[in-house]
Amino acid sequence: MRKYLFTLLFLSKSVMFATDSDLGSKIPDLRLKLLNGQKITIHELLKDGPLMIDFWATWCKPCKKVMKYLDQYHQDYADQGFKVLMINQDTPRSLGKVKSYIRSQNHQFFVGLDPNKKIAKKLNGQVMPTMILVDKDGFIKWRHQGYIPGEEVEIEKQIKLILESQASES
Amino acid sequence: MKKIILCLTICSVLVANDIDFNAALTANYGDSYDFYSYSENRLDLNFFYNDLQGWVQYEYSNPPDVGFPINDIRKFRIEYTLDDFTIKFGDIYEFWGRGLLLNQFDDQMTNYDNGTRGLFVGYSNGPLSLNHLNGNSSVWLFGSDLRKPYYNNSHNMSGNQIQYDWNSFSLGLTQIQSNEVHQKLFGDDAYVNHKMKGVYGSWLATNIDLFIEYVDKISTEKTDFFQEVAHDSLKKGHGIYGNLNLYLGSWGLSTEYKRYAFDKSHSDFTADDYGNRIELQMMPTLGKEQNSTLLGRVSHNYNFNDERGVQVELNGSLFNRFTVSAQYSHLSRNKDWKSLNPLDWVDKSLDNYLPSSNPSALPYWENYEEISGFVWGDNLYFKLGHGSNQEVFKTMRYFDGMQISTIFTESWVKDTTDFYGYMIIDSTVTIDTSFSVPFGVEAKMWQVAKSFTIPMELNYTFDNGYSLGVGFQYQERTKKNISKGNAISYSNSDSSWILINPENPDSSFETHVTQFSLNGEKVNTQYNRMIYVTLSKAPRWSFTITQDWANAFDGPTTVDPYYNPVEALVFGDLKYFTGDRNPTDPPPFIQKKWVSAELAYNLTSSQRISIMYGSIQGGLFCSNGICRLIAPFNDGIKFSYSAIF
Repeated sequence: MRKYLFTLLFLSKSVMFATDSDLGSKIPDLRLKLLNGQKITIHELLKDGPLMIDFWATWCKPCKKVMKYLDQYHQDYADQGFKVLMINQDTPRSLGKVKSYIRSQNHQFFVGLDPNKKIAKKLNGQVMPTMILVDKDGFIKWRHQGYIPGEEVEIEKQIKLILESQASES
Repeated sequence: MKKIILCLTICSVLVANDIDFNAALTANYGDSYDFYSYSENRLDLNFFYNDLQGWVQYEYSNPPDVGFPINDIRKFRIEYTLDDFTIKFGDIYEFWGRGLLLNQFDDQMTNYDNGTRGLFVGYSNGPLSLNHLNGNSSVWLFGSDLRKPYYNNSHNMSGNQIQYDWNSFSLGLTQIQSNEVHQKLFGDDAYVNHKMKGVYGSWLATNIDLFIEYVDKISTEKTDFFQEVAHDSLKKGHGIYGNLNLYLGSWGLSTEYKRYAFDKSHSDFTADDYGNRIELQMMPTLGKEQNSTLLGRVSHNYNFNDERGVQVELNGSLFNRFTVSAQYSHLSRNKDWKSLNPLDWVDKSLDNYLPSSNPSALPYWENYEEISGFVWGDNLYFKLGHGSNQEVFKTMRYFDGMQISTIFTESWVKDTTDFYGYMIIDSTVTIDTSFSVPFGVEAKMWQVAKSFTIPMELNYTFDNGYSLGVGFQYQERTKKNISKGNAISYSNSDSSWILINPENPDSSFETHVTQFSLNGEKVNTQYNRMIYVTLSKAPRWSFTITQDWANAFDGPTTVDPYYNPVEALVFGDLKYFTGDRNPTDPPPFIQKKWVSAELAYNLTSSQRISIMYGSIQGGLFCSNGICRLIAPFNDGIKFSYSAIF
C-alpha cells in the first residue's frame, strides 16, 4: 500500500508543479558542440530571437517525423530570429552516422551533439522527442514530450505566439 | 517518509528562491497474472544558481522492473564552473574519443550503469582542454535471473584526457588506471589492475570526416594473500576504431572499421573470465541500431573483447521527398579456430585485417535497406524496410585435417606335434603394426541462425487532427545445428577422430537440425508477425492495439494458461464476456499470440500518461550495444506517467 501512496504523492506534487505558471524559468547557459565541430552556448543561440530545442536520435521514429516540420519552421521564421537546435543523443557507438543522416535530409537547423546525455539530463530531455521553446531572454515558454502526427500545428502555434509576443515588446 | 519530506522541502525551497530549476518525474507501474509486478518512481531535479549546477535523482522502486529495490537518493552531482575551470563532484558520466577507453552512461532499460562516483576537474582554454576523473564505479551484471543482477565488478579508477583542437583537426591523449574487485561466480573475488592508454584524432572537412582511435590495455592480477605482490601481466590487448564519412550533395556514405582484441576465447565469456575489456569501455558496435521490434529481437550480441568488422551505410534522399538508407556490416572474431579434439582448440591468425567468413570465427552479417517519406500532400507517411542477417552462434567442433590410422595385422601360424601318439596343434599369433595412407578428416559442427524481416508502416494524418497508423512486421527465421564431414566423435584413447565409415574415409555427411520447436515437434522455420493499428488525435491522445504472433519457439514451448479480454475481443470469442470463459484450458487460437492495447494521453503539453493492458512477448532487447533478455509479460497492466517541469 505504501508504494501506491508514494506514487500518488509523486503524481499530485508533480501536477501542482507542472501548471503553466511554473513555465518561465530561465534556461541555463549550457555549452555544446555542434555537428560541424563548432562550440557554442545556448545563450549565444538566443542572441537574435527565440529558440526551439528538440532532443532526437537516428533510431527514434517520431523524432524523424517531427524534424521535417521543425526544419521548415527554422527556415520560415529565420527572418524573425527564430532558430531550431536539434540535440542529438546517439551514443558514441552510432555517432558516425548522424552527419550522414542530416546531410541526406538537407536539414538547415543547428544540430548539437550530446552523446552521453549530459545536456539532456540537465534539461530533462531524456524522453524523445522533447521540445523546449525558449524566448529571446532565455525564459522557457513551452515544453512538450512526444509527438503525435498532427501536433506540428500546435508546435507552429506556439512558435507564432512567442514571435508575436516578441514583436509587441519591441 | 523523512526522505520524501526532505525532497519536497528542497523542491519548495527551490520554488521560493531565485534559483532556476527544472525537474522530471517518471512513474511506472506494472502487474501481470504471473507475478511480474513492479513499481518504479524517479524524480530528477536540476538546479542552477550562477556558476553552480546541481542534480539529484531520487528513486523509490519496490521492486523495479529490473535491478534492486531502492528508496533513496540514487544519483547526485554538483558542478561549479569558474572561468576556464570546471569541477564536478558526485555521479559523473564522461566519454572520451568514441568510447574505446571511456564511455559512461546510465541505461535504465538494460540496467547498465558504469558511471563513476567521484571527482572531475576540467580545464578548457581555447583549443586546449585537460580533464581528470577519479572515483569508484560499481557495475552490476546479470546472471540467469532476468530481472535481478547477479554479480558486481567494482573499479577504483582514475583517468586523464588531453585534447587539442586546431582548426578542423583534433588530437586527444587518454589514460586510465583501475583497480578492480571482480566478483566471480565460483571462488573468491579477483583483484585486477588495469592500465589503458589511448590516442585519437579527427579531421572535419566539408565533404569528408575522419576519426581514428587506438587503445592499448594491460591487466595484472594480484594473487597473494595480502594483495601486495603483483604477478606478471594477466592479459594484454588493444582496440582500434576508424570512421570515414564522405558526403556528396544530399548523399552521405559512412564507413567504419573496428578491431577489438582485448582477449580471445573460443567459448562464451563468463563472470569468471576477467582481465579483459572492462565495463568503462563501451565502444562502437558497427551494427544497425534498430527501431523495429522484430529486428531488435535478432540483434547480434557484440563481443567487445574479440571482434573485428566493417560497416558501410549510405543515406540519401530521392527527389527531395523520400529518405533512402542502406546498410551492410560484417563482423567476426579476430582468429579462425580449430578443434584438435572437442576440448582443445588452437587459433590461427587471419590473413588480413578484414573479418573472416569461416564459421569457426563466428561471423555475423547484416544488411538493412529502408525507404520512407511523405506523399499525398504530406498527409501520408510511409516506411518500408528490409533487413536480413546471418550469425554463427557457436562451434561445437571444427576440425579439418589429415589423420593416419594405425593398422593391426594378425597372422596365425599353426603347427602339429606328435606327443606320445597324440597330435597336438600349436598356434602362434603375430601382430604386425602398420600405418594407413594419410586420409582427410572433417569433423565440424556449428550453430547458425538466419533471418529476414520486412517492417512497414503507414500513417495518414487528417486535416482535423486525427491520424490513423498501421504497422506490420514480418520475419522468417531459421536456427540450425549443422554437422558436416566424415567424423562425428573423438576417441580420447586413440587420440584420433572416429570416422563414420572406417572402411571408406571419403564417405561424408551433412545434417541440418533445426533448433525451433512447438510442443516437442521440430519446426524448420520460425515465422514472426506483428501488426499494430494506431488511432490518434493531436495533441491529446493516441490509442494503439498490437498483436504479435510466433509459430515456434527457440526452446521449450511456453503455455499461456490465461487469455485476456483484449485477446478475446480480437479473436471474436464472445463467450469470454458471457461468463463461459475456460480459464484452465484456453482456446488454441490464443496460444503463440500476444495482444495488447495502449492508450497514451497528454494531460498537458509536458505531462503524459499511458496505460497498457494485455500481453507482451519477451525476448532480446538491445540498447547502447548492451543486450538483455526480457521476460514475457502475460495478461497484465502497465501504467506510466512522465512529466517535465
